[in-house]
Amino acid sequence: MNRQNSNEEQREIAHPGQFVFTPPIDIYETEAGLVLYADLPGVSVGSLELQVQDNKLTLLGKVEPQIPEGARPLHQEYEVGNYLRSFILSGEIVHSEIEAKLANGVLRIFLPKAPKAEPRRIQVNTG
Amino acid sequence: MPIFRWEQSWNPLRDLEREVDRLVQGVEFSVQGIRMPRQYPAVNIFELDHEYLITAELPGMLAEDLELTIANSVLTLKGHRNPPVIADGEISEERFRRQERTFGEWQRSISIPDRISEEQLSAEFNEGVLKIHLPKLEEELPRQIPVSSGE
Repeated sequence: MNRQNSNEEQREIAHPGQFVFTPPIDIYETEAGLVLYADLPGVSVGSLELQVQDNKLTLLGKVEPQIPEGARPLHQEYEVGNYLRSFILSGEIVHSEIEAKLANGVLRIFLPKAPKAEPRRIQVNTG
Repeated sequence: MPIFRWEQSWNPLRDLEREVDRLVQGVEFSVQGIRMPRQYPAVNIFELDHEYLITAELPGMLAEDLELTIANSVLTLKGHRNPPVIADGEISEERFRRQERTFGEWQRSISIPDRISEEQLSAEFNEGVLKIHLPKLEEELPRQIPVSSGE
């Protein structure tokens, strides 16, 4: 599972004057699969896009402006922008059973592993 | 035009911060990275016609984990962020492929202007974004002065 942020994607969603951030993530492995957490403050379920294509999982979180129009900035320590990050999935992940949940600005994705095939005994017959 | 300017009340704090930075930088630390590069959480401060607005990004926290207090024109934000409760039990370090998020306790104090209605201070917390509304005192708001003709 590698991070693969291509510049083209960055350009695609970054409008002039808008920021695109790589959100911090945690990934851990369990018997059943991989669990991924990403911090996406300001992203709602409606503005989050998750896509799996050719073994690549892409998350795009769009952030609505946090402040009312006409607010004059007095002091600014952080920028607000969209989130983009993509991951290469290993072959053992069952794409159709990926689950995602978003709560309090944190996304949790469960990537289930395909159950290991039971070893099968092959009968060898004598000619 | 507002007579009060936030920057003015802000600057002494900044000057102090800069002074402390200067002092600390003059000291040879044997352990690098002992100082936090910046305070957590990062905040943005805006002025609107009727209020000041402070915003901070606090993903993964719950409203009940946040504590806001105000005393002597200092607003203190305090909270803790717990790692997610894992259904699979404790996850040992070696199971992590990547660990970029941080957890733990934090606290930050922000000095605010005097001309704030402290009783009417309110805060909302949605999708990991905290917004603190600091309404301006009535007497600070622009007032229309009726002009009557001298008849």
